[in-house]
Amino acid sequence: MAFLAPLFFVGLAALAIPVLIHLTQREKKMVQQFPSLMFVRRIPYQTVRRRKIRDLALLMVRLAALALIIAAFARPFLWRPDAATAIGPGAREVVVLLDQSYSMAYGDRWDRAKAAARDAINGLGASDRASVVLFSSGADITMRSTGERDRLTASFEAATPTPAATRYGPALKVAGSILAESPLPRREVILISDFQRNGWRGEEGSRLPAGSTVTPVMIGGPTDAPDAAVTSVALARSTFSEQERVTLTAAVANRSDKPVVNDTITLEIAGRGVQTEPLNIEANGSASIAFAPFTVTSRNMRVSVRAGMDALAFDNLFDVVVSPAVPVRIVEVEGGTRAGSGLYLARALSIGDAPKFETVTRQATDVSDDDLRRASVVLLNDVDVSVGLGRRLARFVQDGGGLFVVAGPRATWPQEADVLPATLSQTIDRSRGEAGRIGGIEYGHPVFEVFRAPRTGDFAPSRFYAYRSVTALPMSQVLARFDGGTPALVERRVGSGRVLLFASTFDLSWTDLPLKPIFLPLIHRVIVYLANYSEPAPWLTIGQVFDPAASSAKSQAAGRLALSPSGRRLPLEDEGSQTQVLELTEQGFYEIRGQSANSDVTVIASNVDPAESDLTPMDPAEITAAATGNAASNGQAAESNVPLTPEAQERTQRLWWYLLCAGILLLGTDTLLSNWLSKA
Amino acid sequence: MSLAGGHAQGAIPGARFMDPAVLARIGNLELVARAVVDGFINGMHKAPYFGASVDFAEHRGYVPGDDIRRVDWKLWARTDRYYVKEYEAESNSNFSVLLDVSKSMNYGSTGITKLDYARILTACLTNLVHHQRDRVGLVTFDNDVVSFVPSSAKHMEVVLHTLENVTAGRPGSLKKPLQKLAEHFGRRGMLVVISDFYEEPDAVVDAIAPLRFRGNDLVVFHVLDKAELEFGFSDASAFEDLETGEQMPVVPEAFRKEYQSLVRAHLDALQQRFSANRVDYTVLDTSKPLDHALYRYLSSRSRMMKVR
Repeated sequence: MAFLAPLFFVGLAALAIPVLIHLTQREKKMVQQFPSLMFVRRIPYQTVRRRKIRDLALLMVRLAALALIIAAFARPFLWRPDAATAIGPGAREVVVLLDQSYSMAYGDRWDRAKAAARDAINGLGASDRASVVLFSSGADITMRSTGERDRLTASFEAATPTPAATRYGPALKVAGSILAESPLPRREVILISDFQRNGWRGEEGSRLPAGSTVTPVMIGGPTDAPDAAVTSVALARSTFSEQERVTLTAAVANRSDKPVVNDTITLEIAGRGVQTEPLNIEANGSASIAFAPFTVTSRNMRVSVRAGMDALAFDNLFDVVVSPAVPVRIVEVEGGTRAGSGLYLARALSIGDAPKFETVTRQATDVSDDDLRRASVVLLNDVDVSVGLGRRLARFVQDGGGLFVVAGPRATWPQEADVLPATLSQTIDRSRGEAGRIGGIEYGHPVFEVFRAPRTGDFAPSRFYAYRSVTALPMSQVLARFDGGTPALVERRVGSGRVLLFASTFDLSWTDLPLKPIFLPLIHRVIVYLANYSEPAPWLTIGQVFDPAASSAKSQAAGRLALSPSGRRLPLEDEGSQTQVLELTEQGFYEIRGQSANSDVTVIASNVDPAESDLTPMDPAEITAAATGNAASNGQAAESNVPLTPEAQERTQRLWWYLLCAGILLLGTDTLLSNWLSKA
Repeated sequence: MSLAGGHAQGAIPGARFMDPAVLARIGNLELVARAVVDGFINGMHKAPYFGASVDFAEHRGYVPGDDIRRVDWKLWARTDRYYVKEYEAESNSNFSVLLDVSKSMNYGSTGITKLDYARILTACLTNLVHHQRDRVGLVTFDNDVVSFVPSSAKHMEVVLHTLENVTAGRPGSLKKPLQKLAEHFGRRGMLVVISDFYEEPDAVVDAIAPLRFRGNDLVVFHVLDKAELEFGFSDASAFEDLETGEQMPVVPEAFRKEYQSLVRAHLDALQQRFSANRVDYTVLDTSKPLDHALYRYLSSRSRMMKVR
């Protein structure tokens, strides 16, 4: 008899507690003086003696119950050194984890990994069973728990490295679930990988079931073949002759111990090489290659940077999608009677590259439907809005447009169009006495978030000599207030659009705000917010998820689908017309389009994770220790005829269960016995 | 006499006795006895036997040797014969209390020990008797005679003093001290024995009966605490014999019925044997007032006079 957790027997000291209580009570028993025990002595002792015996029995029952429960916690088992022989060497559940990340494509690593997997499968005993799991950033069970070696081997023979990065955590979790379901007593994981440092993040929850062993098979070796990796590109936009140009700079790293000498790096546009530069990088060094600017002629230009062929091809290519910068189109509506009221606004909106602002100025009576259709934001600069214009603007906002109302002395708004966040009242004159200031700013709002940090913008120096008294509606949010408590900037969301109302002017008649440094960034933030503008990402990384519903790739056409770089068609809507996300698994350009021929097309560049090209290995014992909880666990444990571990023997016998049941039964008996004794 | 008999079952209205526990807190026994006895006598203001000892009983013919002072000269004048006057009682009878001061008497669960109760009872009886000009004496004993105050009309103070100083310190037995005393009490009188009688009934009677051999009137007061009668303990505990120090584990709930029946049998046996020996026997509960004991004494006293 042996015990898995003999320390629990320290708990046997608890047995002394009832005995001590018993003894203590005996010592402390009350002595009752009585004149004579003449009569007491005549009463037979039978009652006393019987009670004592019963109490002793009760005590023994309690002690036995405690002892049994403690013994159960100590996890006893009958030690049988020949247990392994009895079960046989074949009774193993083996999970072969085969690293399929793109770093395994370096040199002959993949071939060696497959050979190791074959060896592992050929080493299976007659009664062993095995599963094959190919893993990279995810894990895929290609064959589950079988003893047929041919099927197991065939499940990975045709596989090739994927462009995904290495993550050991998901693979270990899958292996753990397979082992946990297995009835076989010996459980083993054979982990075949190059053990990249970047693939292990000390994942919690990747612990294998107790008694499992991990046999790491290192597919490493020297990194003596040159390996240039394009890790990133930078796009710098400029305008030349009213044409937008982009200068692309590629960052290239050499991940090997050999220098890259006399290699080339090529800029490709739409698959055609347009510029080739020599590439020379020292061992484990990096370089930056700037290409000549190219003109952006159309949307979704497919631009690639390709370094020369070397030992690891996956990281030689870096794709980006370049489109002309999309300006934020603004229609500035003026009242017309006050000249120059839009001067400062126009100046502020003429500056800016990311994004650019394209402003069209219109009189209130001249705003056309075409203007509204093209515009992202309408700016009403102190305008007396007619009912007709108000209704059209309300529709514009409902459809997702942004409306910025600058409420100067002439500003009105028709009640028929209910989109304004506040009602306008009289003008408050602060020209006499102390001028008004802005206080009470909601710095958590996207408009003011950039001004949250110290020295990033100060509204205090701005003076307001007059402003409109406005009353915010319940459904609106006050983003800034004047020092008197009157709302200064109020927001309301209507439909999918947004409306902001500023209760003063943007010229010098009522305020000196346009002269302050904060004016320009404030106007830019307001317009960007109202236009709901976001910079399109020029590329994504494999493993990331692309959500068509949340991007500018929204296509009006029904039945959208994605075309993968390998030509697979991936539907983006399920049967209920619900948009599905697209997980990027291939390297290259994804196309998202509607089913009709003239539908809008969105192109996404999908690149490999550059961190995966760093082949620095780690100590496999780290993963082994984390997965098994035992740093000493290694492949030696997988040898045949090794006796079963105490944990495995204990698990097969489960003596603790019977002991616990017996203990609980005794406790029940104790309850009955004590009840009976108390009644007796 | 008839009054005493008529009220033997209860207290006299208007003459309520104080709680024994309260009396025990009054240090001066004389004061206690006087208070109790005066109250008792006030309640019996028509007691017919008060002064009965000097009542005329009969005439008898003069014989030579009679004191000529006792010749009824008026009767001689009428009859021309000498007659001597005989009176109803000898007013100066002996009265002694035999008080058990063994250690078991030093027990009390209701605020008064049996010994204190017995002391008050003794003081009261002595006081009562002293009022009647009788001679009073006191003997205390445990397993031997501890103190002895001979009967005398002048010994009231001594008796009270002895009672004040009496302590219960030794185990007791009846046979040896009472045997000694039986030889001593030669003159006919009244003996009151106060004890808790923790001996077998036969042994008790064998020890006490000799006291009657010389014509003494015997009144036995069996003083017991309420706890001794009812055994009303609740917690299981070790019971220690006050005299021997022996301890026994006792579960009172389990013992109570048997104990009560044993005590009842013991009392019945004593009652039966004392009756057979014409000894007046009374069980006194220390939680109850003293009037019962005093009535028993007066009842016995009147019976003695009746017999004479």
